Amino acid sequence: MHTAVDLAALSDRVAPPALARERTMPVSEELSGLFVEGGLVRGRTLACQGPAATSTALALVAPAVIAGAWLAIVDLPTIGLDAARELGVPLERTVAISTGDDLGSSQRWPDVIAAAADGFDVLLVRVPTDVSMGALRKLSVRLRQRDVVTVVLGDPGHMGCDGVLQTDAPSWSGLGEGYGHLRQREVTVKASGRRLPGDRRCQLATPA
Amino acid sequence: MSEQQRIVSVWYPDWPVTAAGFDADIPAAVMAANRVVARTSAAAAEGVAIGQRRRQSQRRCPQIALVDHDPDRDAREFEPIVRAIAEVSPRLDVIEPGWVSLGSRGPSRYFGGDQALADRLVDVNGEAHAPPGVGIADGRFASSVAARLAARRKAPVIIEAGQSPAFCGELPIGWLQTLGESDPELIDLFGRLGLRRLGDLAALSAVDVLGRFGHAGVHAHRLASGADTRPSSTTDPAPERRLDHALDDPATLSSAVVFVAKQLADELAGSLGAEGRVCTRLVVLLESEHGERSQRSWYRSAGLSAPAMVERVRWQLDAWINLPKGSEQELTGGIVLIRLTPDEVRADEGSQLGLWGGQSEADRRAARAIARLSTLTSQDAVTVPVWRGGRLPADRYEWVPAVMVDLDQRERAGGGPMGPWPGALPSPSPATVFPEPQPVEVLDAQGDAVQVTGRGQVSARPAMLRSLNGDDASGWRRGRPRPIIAWAGPWPVEERWWEPDRHRRLARFQMVTDDHDGFLVIAEHQRWWISARYD
Repeated sequence: MHTAVDLAALSDRVAPPALARERTMPVSEELSGLFVEGGLVRGRTLACQGPAATSTALALVAPAVIAGAWLAIVDLPTIGLDAARELGVPLERTVAISTGDDLGSSQRWPDVIAAAADGFDVLLVRVPTDVSMGALRKLSVRLRQRDVVTVVLGDPGHMGCDGVLQTDAPSWSGLGEGYGHLRQREVTVKASGRRLPGDRRCQLATPA
Repeated sequence: MSEQQRIVSVWYPDWPVTAAGFDADIPAAVMAANRVVARTSAAAAEGVAIGQRRRQSQRRCPQIALVDHDPDRDAREFEPIVRAIAEVSPRLDVIEPGWVSLGSRGPSRYFGGDQALADRLVDVNGEAHAPPGVGIADGRFASSVAARLAARRKAPVIIEAGQSPAFCGELPIGWLQTLGESDPELIDLFGRLGLRRLGDLAALSAVDVLGRFGHAGVHAHRLASGADTRPSSTTDPAPERRLDHALDDPATLSSAVVFVAKQLADELAGSLGAEGRVCTRLVVLLESEHGERSQRSWYRSAGLSAPAMVERVRWQLDAWINLPKGSEQELTGGIVLIRLTPDEVRADEGSQLGLWGGQSEADRRAARAIARLSTLTSQDAVTVPVWRGGRLPADRYEWVPAVMVDLDQRERAGGGPMGPWPGALPSPSPATVFPEPQPVEVLDAQGDAVQVTGRGQVSARPAMLRSLNGDDASGWRRGRPRPIIAWAGPWPVEERWWEPDRHRRLARFQMVTDDHDGFLVIAEHQRWWISARYD
C-alpha cells in the first residue's frame, strides 16, 4: 500500500500564507531543475510540446501520482498505458474521461474539466481548438482555485499557461539497420514561460 | 498493563438512512461514492446490502429511493439522542452519528444493574426511532459487537464480566472488518490461512502475529483475545498537551470557529504525528462569551486525523447552535474559547483505516468526482485501465467503465502485468498508441512497396515512410515521404490460429525516421500500418 501524502493538509488554504514550496507536488530528479520551486506548484498549468511531449508529460506527473494524487486523462484515447506504467505512473489511480465524439463535445469540455478538477489533483488534457476564449479563461481561474496541476499536450490556446516544456533534439539508440530494437531515447527539455524564468533545460533519457 | 473497562455501546443500525428521514418500511438507501452505506429494513429485506454498488442495489430493488450521504445531516439528527443519553450518563463518547459508548460502572450501579441500564438506554429515545442495539461487555470491541448483535436480536446483549475473551473467540473473523478495525485484505489473508474465528487468531502467540502480520495483525490479535481495547501503548497525555485558543472578539460565525479549529487540529495532529502517535479520544470544549459551555468527547479507534477533528468540532458547534430554545446550555452569544484536549493517544501504526479499507482523502474525492462525471457525461465515458495482455500495445489494456470497478481494490486487482508476456515488445513502450492503426506506405530506395514474405523476411530494405490519408472509397492522399534511418523486424505475431475468423498474422517493425521520430509499424495483409508512435 502506498503511503498517501496528506493532500488535504497540503491544500489547506486556511493555513497562514505559505511559501509556494509547501504547495508543490513532487517531481523526478531530472526534471526538478526546470522548476524554481523544485516541484509542481498546485494550481498551475503547464504545456508539453515537441516530439517527446507525451512521455515527458507522463514522466512529469508520475511522482505526484505515486505520492497519492489521482490523475485524470481527458480525451486522449491514444495514451500508451504500458509507457505510462514504465514511466512510473500508478495505473490504479489513473482515470480516462471522454467528452464524447458528438458535435456538442467541445461545448461540454470546460464543464467536464471543471468537474474533474474537483476530485482529481492532476489533469492531462489537450485543449480543443473550438472552445471559446471566455470559457477557457473562466476555466483557468477555476483550475487555479481548485489547486489542480494541469498538463496540456500541445498548444494550450487561450488557456492560461504558466509554462511550456519544449522537447527537442530527440536521439534514439539501440536500433540499427535491420537489427536491434529501440532501447533508449535522449531528449532535451527546455522550460520557458511566465513562471519558469531563465533558461532552464535538462536532458531526459527514457528509460532513465 | 491494560485496563479492563466495562463499556456500554449504543448502536443505531443504518443511522444515515434514518437521519435522511426514511421510515423502516420504505425501501431506501444512502449512497457514498456509489456504494450503499446504510439501508432501511424494507430495502434489506429485498437483498440490498451495505457495500453494494448502486447498480446492484437497484437490481435487487428497482423501486429503491437513493440519497447521497451527508455526514453533517447524520450528526445533526443524532444530536437529540446524544443529549438524551447524556442524561443517563454525561460521560459518554460519540464515535460517529449513530454510535455512542459510555463507561457502565456508574450508571449501572445507579439504575440497578446492567440489564436495567440497558433497558433504560433502549428506550432513551422513546418511539421516535427504531430502538438501538445495546451491548455491555468488558472492552470496547466486545461491547461494540454485542451492540450490533443486540440490534439484530432486538434485545440487549450483556456479556458477563470476564467473559469477553470467550465471547469474542466464537465470533467469525469478519467482525474485525465490520467494525472498521482491520483492512479487508488482512481479513482475507486470515481467512485464507484458515483463521476463521477470532478465537483461532487469539490462539496464536502475539510475537508470531507481529512477525507475520505486523502491527495491524497485533491490533487484530488484541481485539480477538477480548483482552482489552485500550492498548498498553495508550497513554493519557499530560494536561499541557491540550491546545486552546481564546478569541478576543467573540466569534458569531461558525466559519470563524472552524477556521481556528482547523489550525488547532493541524497543530495537534501534527505534533502527535511527529512523535508517531495519534489521538483516539478527543475532548472538544467550546465556551461562549456568557459562560455557556459545550463539551463533548469523541472517540475513534483508528485515531482522529486533523480533518476528522475539525469535522467533529463542526458537528458539535452545529448541535450547540441548534439546541432548542430554553435548553440549559443554550448558546446566547459568540464563542470565545475553543479547546482541544487529546484524552487518549496511542502509537500510530501508520494505517488510516476507513470503512472501505485504507482510503485516503484523495481516494474519496476522486471517487466522488468519478460518480459525478459519470452522470455529467455517461457511464462509459469515465473509464479505468484494466490489464488484459497482448502482443500489440493497443491490445494490452482495456478501458473499463469506472463505475463497474472496485476502485479501492485496484491494487489487488492487478493494475499491471502479472509476469512476462511471451512475444511482447521490449520496453520502452510507445507513449502514443493508436486504437485504430493508421495506414502508411513503407517504400524501398526505388520507391516500391516493401513486402514481408511468408518466411518472415523483408523483400527490400525499408527506406521511406509515407503517411496515407483518406480511404479506399474516396481515394488516398499521400503525405511527404520521410527517410527511415533505422529499423528492425519483422517480429511475427500469429494470433488465434485455431479460430479461422479471428486468425491474425502480422509482422511488427520498429522504424525511426530522420527526425528521430520512432514508430511501431505493422505489416498485415500486404499492407502497412502505424500502430504506435514513440512520442
